[in-house]
Amino acid sequence: MAGFITLMATSTKSSAVKRFFIGKPISSADDANHRLPKKIALPVFASDAISSTAYATEEILIVFLSLAGAGVAAYNNLVPLSIMVVVLLAIVVSSYRQTIFAYPNGGGSYVVSRENLGKYPSLVAGGSMLVDYILTVAVSVAGGTAAIISAFNGLAPYRVELCVGFIALITIANLRGLKESGSLFAPPTYLYIICLFSLIGVGLFKVFILDLPPISHDSEVAKELLSQTNSVTLFFFLKAFSSGAVALTGIEAVADGVPAFKKPEPKNASITLVIMAFILGTSFFGLSVLAQHLQPLKDHEGLIRDTVLAQLAEQVYGGRNIFFFVTQFATFGILILAANTGYADFPRLSSIIAKDNYMPRQFMNRGDRLVFSNGVIFLGVSSGALVVIFGGLVNALIPLYAVGVFTGFTLSQAGMFVRHRRLKEAGWVPRAIMSAFGASTTALVAGIVVVVKFADGAWIPAVVIPTLVFCFVAINRHYTRVRSFLNVQDGYTAPFHTHFVIVLVGSVNQGTLHAIRYAQSLRPDRLIAISVVETAEDRQKIDEAWIKFNLSDVELQTITSEYRDLTEPILNRIDELDAEYDDDLITVIIPEFVTSVRSQWLHNQSALAIKARLLFRPNTVVTSVPIVIP
Amino acid sequence: MGLKNIVKSANKGIRELDAERLVDRFAELNLTPLGEVAVRTKVKVCGEVKRMTMKPRSGIPSMEIVINDGTGQVTVIFSGRRHISGIEHGGCLAVEGVAHRERNSTVFLNPAYTLLPHGAE
Repeated sequence: MAGFITLMATSTKSSAVKRFFIGKPISSADDANHRLPKKIALPVFASDAISSTAYATEEILIVFLSLAGAGVAAYNNLVPLSIMVVVLLAIVVSSYRQTIFAYPNGGGSYVVSRENLGKYPSLVAGGSMLVDYILTVAVSVAGGTAAIISAFNGLAPYRVELCVGFIALITIANLRGLKESGSLFAPPTYLYIICLFSLIGVGLFKVFILDLPPISHDSEVAKELLSQTNSVTLFFFLKAFSSGAVALTGIEAVADGVPAFKKPEPKNASITLVIMAFILGTSFFGLSVLAQHLQPLKDHEGLIRDTVLAQLAEQVYGGRNIFFFVTQFATFGILILAANTGYADFPRLSSIIAKDNYMPRQFMNRGDRLVFSNGVIFLGVSSGALVVIFGGLVNALIPLYAVGVFTGFTLSQAGMFVRHRRLKEAGWVPRAIMSAFGASTTALVAGIVVVVKFADGAWIPAVVIPTLVFCFVAINRHYTRVRSFLNVQDGYTAPFHTHFVIVLVGSVNQGTLHAIRYAQSLRPDRLIAISVVETAEDRQKIDEAWIKFNLSDVELQTITSEYRDLTEPILNRIDELDAEYDDDLITVIIPEFVTSVRSQWLHNQSALAIKARLLFRPNTVVTSVPIVIP
Repeated sequence: MGLKNIVKSANKGIRELDAERLVDRFAELNLTPLGEVAVRTKVKVCGEVKRMTMKPRSGIPSMEIVINDGTGQVTVIFSGRRHISGIEHGGCLAVEGVAHRERNSTVFLNPAYTLLPHGAE
């Protein structure tokens, strides 16, 4: 405990600790050097989207197998569904390419809808995206942990602890700065892409040329799942589709982060976006085809520990060999990096919203390492809480996910449509049609997600996002009110006040004498020393000291405290003095001892109580006169 | 806001409690209650010493004593001295003289005074 207090209170020591974890401060002038080249930007911004291949197929299968109970028939629906998702991906990506060129300063859904749709749509977009970034972190870390647990089944009991630990590590990495964490995390993304394509390539080769049989399942759960023969209703088909649609989350990250690219930013960002969409689309489709033939199994309660990807890898590579483990680690790596995408964008978006006075100003502050530290910390804490609440299970978090992202997509594309109609640039008609089509498609998907998954958890973002918008508006109203209040007209002069200075005297000692001398230097209209006494002897002692130290020109008031309370009589006295004049300003001077951190708590407790009570009192200045005791 | 009100009402409770105690203490003396002191007529009042102030009034030391009897409070000023033996916190003081208003308090300037023993008489 003492160590903790030391750490908090001693500035030099705490900054040494901070240095160790966070690194040395970077000057503001170095900002431009922290731009990302394409090969680093791809892992930083695209890993979120690409990593969703690690769980999207699995989530579709869970709906068909475990919720709909379709049995073997589930696999026949997999490929048509993934084609639908890939088409959706193509629509959204082509719409976002336009956004990148239209908004080279970062055109997240928030910015686009703010400029084209107005205040409330933009706040909805902002709130949705913030919620989704938090979920990105939670889902990705949970997914990454699932990959590790698939490789080492013994770790299963520590799922939540592992998730929280990983979130803490990523948070610290991000507090150190964007570029460093980018190059730290880049290799896993490329490794994952290689693993994924080799898994799909080798898998399809073995399936079609070497006639690799489906995975044989012999556990009880598996047999039960496969024995079911319910037909897939439209409801479950849509539910599976909305699970698959999570593959699209993270696409918007590139458009959000255009300013982080090297110059020319829009061109680099757009190329990165297309590369990302290509990788995402082909690998997602390829995995679905592979899963259709190899028939991996997964249930919604986590009874089957291995992820679909792990089951596929085991079957394709013929057991738990080096290829299997590399795939698992690469999956883990990219999912951690996907969580990192949230860290690249949540702080950036929250700083933009804060700049518009809809979020607390603290989110605008860049820390020592040029990152928006408060946003990073907030994201880490809230996603950690989500993981703990939902037990670190990906499929428990998935229904919460995607609502926000598709709301964001819809508003962003609707915004682009309005913009095209307004500006009427050359060749705007096909682009506007593209945006309108994209907006209606994604709106439909958002609607489907909310409806079919409402009971599973989609109600949470449906409640949280409007609440966030309400908070944004309330915060904005407050800031506006403060600003209009502090605004000064031309020729305004600050009024003069009758200045009362009150020195609180416990006993007459060096501190008191210093405080009185200081009070006299303020040249107040009236200087009063106030002491709360309990007995006649106390009063006489102070009175004698007053004469002894030549203070008789200072007014000394002694008051009694009937109930031995120190704070109340003083506050009452201040109230009385305050009532005497209308235009008065009261300065309360409190002599305080400053000792070492270890013994500071032995002093000034009553001063602390008085200061706390005076904090919100109007026209009251509280001054501590420190007496340093070495 | 809520917290402030709670604190205020709790605080009021203590003040009322003290006022009741003081009214009890001085009830049988049958003097003018301090809350009803009229200015510019001779009155006799008493109360418990609540605040003592030693301050220079135009360069001359003076002593201001606030007494309270539960119905109100008045300020008694004795000029030219910093100390009167017998007047201490918690003690009781009966005062006979003419009061005047000074700012928002009722003031007796150098009145005749009697020290009352502790406890009711």
